[in-house]
Amino acid sequence: MTNPPMIALQDAMKKYDDGPPALAGVTLSVASGECVAILGHSGSGKSTLLNLIAGLDKPSSGTVTVDGTRVDQLGEAGSAKYRRASIGMIFQYFNLLDDLTVLDNVMVPAQLAGMGKGEAKRRAIALLGSLGIDRHAKAYPQRLSGGQRQRVAVARALMNKPALLLADEPTGALDSSSAEDVRRLLLDLNSEGQTILLVTHDVQLAASTARRTIELVDGAVKRDVVNDGSSAGLAARTPLTRPAGAVG
Amino acid sequence: MSVLGKVVRSGVGRRRVQSLVLALTTFAAVTSSVLSLGLLAVVQAPFDHAFSARNGAHLAVQFDRSKVTAAQATATAHAAGVTEAAGPYPIAAALDTTVGTDCPKRDFAGHDNHPITVTTRPDLGSTSGMDQLVLTQGRWPTSPGEIALPWQHYATACFGSSVVFSALPGKPSFKVVGFGGSVTSSATAFATADGFARLTAAGAKSDEQMLYRFAKAGTDADIATDKQAVAAVAPAGAVESGQSYLTAKQQAGGNARAYVPFLIGFGILGLFMSVLIISIVVSGAVASGIRRIGILKSLGFTPSQVARAYTAQAMIPATLGLVLGTVFGNLLAVPILDGATKQLGAADATIPLWVSAVVPLSTLLIVSTTALIPALRAGRMPTVQALVVGRAPKAGGGRTAQRLASRLPLPRAMSLGLAQPFARPARAVLVGAAVLFGVVSVTFAVGLGTAFNKYLDTSTAGFNVASEFVIPTADVGVPWGRYGPNDPRRPHLDAAKVAASLAETPGTKAAFGWGESGATIVGAPPGGEPPKVFTITGDFSWSNMELLSGRWFSAPGEAVVGDKLATTVGIHVGDNVTVVQQNKQLPLKVVGINFDTNVGDYTVMTDATTFTAAGLAPHIEQFNVELADNVSGSDWSTSAAAALTPLNASVHPHSDGGKNIVVIIMGTLVATLTLMMTAVAALGVLSMVVQDTRERVHDLGIFKALGMTPKQTIAMVLTSVSLTGLIAGLIGVPLGVSVEKATLTPMGNAIGRHLPPSVSHVYTAGLLIPLLAGGIVIALLGALLPAGWAARTRTATALRTE
Repeated sequence: MTNPPMIALQDAMKKYDDGPPALAGVTLSVASGECVAILGHSGSGKSTLLNLIAGLDKPSSGTVTVDGTRVDQLGEAGSAKYRRASIGMIFQYFNLLDDLTVLDNVMVPAQLAGMGKGEAKRRAIALLGSLGIDRHAKAYPQRLSGGQRQRVAVARALMNKPALLLADEPTGALDSSSAEDVRRLLLDLNSEGQTILLVTHDVQLAASTARRTIELVDGAVKRDVVNDGSSAGLAARTPLTRPAGAVG
Repeated sequence: MSVLGKVVRSGVGRRRVQSLVLALTTFAAVTSSVLSLGLLAVVQAPFDHAFSARNGAHLAVQFDRSKVTAAQATATAHAAGVTEAAGPYPIAAALDTTVGTDCPKRDFAGHDNHPITVTTRPDLGSTSGMDQLVLTQGRWPTSPGEIALPWQHYATACFGSSVVFSALPGKPSFKVVGFGGSVTSSATAFATADGFARLTAAGAKSDEQMLYRFAKAGTDADIATDKQAVAAVAPAGAVESGQSYLTAKQQAGGNARAYVPFLIGFGILGLFMSVLIISIVVSGAVASGIRRIGILKSLGFTPSQVARAYTAQAMIPATLGLVLGTVFGNLLAVPILDGATKQLGAADATIPLWVSAVVPLSTLLIVSTTALIPALRAGRMPTVQALVVGRAPKAGGGRTAQRLASRLPLPRAMSLGLAQPFARPARAVLVGAAVLFGVVSVTFAVGLGTAFNKYLDTSTAGFNVASEFVIPTADVGVPWGRYGPNDPRRPHLDAAKVAASLAETPGTKAAFGWGESGATIVGAPPGGEPPKVFTITGDFSWSNMELLSGRWFSAPGEAVVGDKLATTVGIHVGDNVTVVQQNKQLPLKVVGINFDTNVGDYTVMTDATTFTAAGLAPHIEQFNVELADNVSGSDWSTSAAAALTPLNASVHPHSDGGKNIVVIIMGTLVATLTLMMTAVAALGVLSMVVQDTRERVHDLGIFKALGMTPKQTIAMVLTSVSLTGLIAGLIGVPLGVSVEKATLTPMGNAIGRHLPPSVSHVYTAGLLIPLLAGGIVIALLGALLPAGWAARTRTATALRTE
């Protein structure tokens, strides 16, 4: 008997207004422990896909199942509780709360989930320590470098021990050194069994971080390949210039 | 449409809620202001105009003819402060009258009429000199059998018929040939000298009246000083009474004057609220539209155009509020002014046009100035700075507050909300100010409303307190007061027999009888409500009648005077007051001043034995009965009826006396204005929270992405205003109490009453505690909608918002 997939999309379609669908009937599955990169141009539908999986948006048709939960059937409160329990998110621009300290930022998801303050604090400090930024616990995010901020965001995302980590262009706002730092962090997490869905337009990052790459074009899966470890090969197969007529 | 017009229109369209708040605020402010200023103008102006045009007398003094000669009375014209004097004129005060049986209207023929004060002057129709009389119908009397009097003192339908001096021997009768009178009601009937002589020949006591104008006569105190100056140059004890023009002025305004203080209070609150809300909305529009301003300027908008665009965005809804407020204020004034203008004989029950112009224009000026300040700031903002500032992420403020709040034992969503006001203290102050005005208004209004109800609560004190009433059988089913107190058809009870019968009826705990004696009061103001002398028999201590000073009468010859009569005429405990029944004068010693709003304006109460001892009829018309505990009213009525029926008396069940129309109108006005102010306060909060939610939408997206549920989002937004609301409530309640205190006393004074503690002390702990929570309630009401919007914000969209 095989384990059910961590993520399963069945004919997931998302349409806004009268335009062409942002996501055109995507079917895919991601197994637990996988690190999958979603690659595509701007407007290809990768953010829409991420939003559907995170329960931030609902498909116009089709189903989205994550960790056994039919995300497309959840209401607002259900989605919030689902995100709390199953999803950790990291963003391109970190999305840290500027008026909270690093420690408070990391504690927020656990506290919203009802975890006691003492327990949340212990876990947050442990996470910050494991990510090497515990000395900044009392600092405010604006005083940290981009790489440090993204580490804080990762700590916050892991706070509730999510089944799935969603990373939306996690290195997009970082210099190359910090980007490499974050890439290694994601690799380490995946090696520890963390399922990661990485959304990026950076072919190199996808190739070097994910074992599998799904390429979206015009809201549809164009390619779904297992990486051979060579970014050059993937890049050769995936020209990241906007094809004529692509939806922007 | 010009480019500027499009910018303005889109600005108003994008801020529909704020525009609505602006319109409502100015509407509330203008309505209150139009009403208060309009009422002031309407109730004062006609009297002031007539008083000036007719050279009215500041003081009319009645001298006892047995103690003063005409020459001595004339000499008082040289008293200190007198600038002009007229008289002496013969005067016969407070003579009982009935409508002649020759009146073609059978409903009025032979009916009791008001007591009237008759005088005669050499030239009644003179258009020079002091206290010029004005005729409104008919002509002045020219023969001894004719008389003229104000329309308020005779049945208008009987004009041309006779008035009979029913208490004088021979009952002399005069034909009413004219309606007319004095602006200050210095007298209420005018006859020729020969006509007046007919009255004195029939036994009317004739005195001398002098009229005066003084250099200083603006206040009651001035008039009291002036009266003392006159008395000082007259023979001792010669001054019987003195009537101030201020009493007539008060009577002319009627109850409408009572509205003015509280409408002024609401008007000022409304104006402050307008300025505040306009500041909030326009500053908010500028603050949240900085980037837009930058773009407009980069496209070529001049600073002046930007300033005009933002001022106009506030002025459009404000102008709508101004126009609607002016119309509504005028409409509301109609029922209030109706009574006042009728009393004054004025034709119009409308607010003067200049009020409807001055109020909105002044408000427009205030509003535009308020809007212009932040709009000019927007106009002067350098383009690059506007573009950069508009895009830059906001610096995190209120960090200390967040740190401290996170230590509180509260759910995280609430502690996050609790610290939010500290991130934008200026905005929190504005939210607090809006709530503060709301709380002040509510506290003020609740206090006033409670005081109004207490003022006219007929159920707890006075002649309406009883388990059962006993009245003449002939009065059953007949409207109260159908016949005047001196009308021979008015039935009375045999007080002694009824009292004895009630005492013998099982279940009677206590009973007292009372009635309107039909006597009048020497020196009572001739205008306004006719004075009433009540006679009481039996123990009435259980009726809770309220005494302001002194004690209740305990022996024949003692009396308690109503506060309005005492204030108007200047009667104090220890003074004497003279009542007249059937032309017999009865001096009474004033032993107390009481407060009772249900029995009339000018009242005297005395024991029935005072009248019987003087050979006068006390006229007992009703018994109030208190039943012993556990006694059934119907059982008692059945057993009492057997004994009462032979005495032509019947048991009448207790019923609510109903509410005074003035109190109903005032209550409605207070409720309407309070509702408007509360709504505006809540909308002010709403406006600010909407703006805050818009600006924090990205943070909200983060929270929701991290798992904040809609309920937690609502809790966070509501908590963000609750502390501000609580503080505003704590400050607003004492302020509201002060405003109420400052308003209630002038309102009482405006209708000639000194309100006792039972009316003025309204703020009990049971009332104050909910009021203190009012700040939070208003804040939460205002934040509820935006909290819902915040909870429904699409996380994905919010996260994309920078």
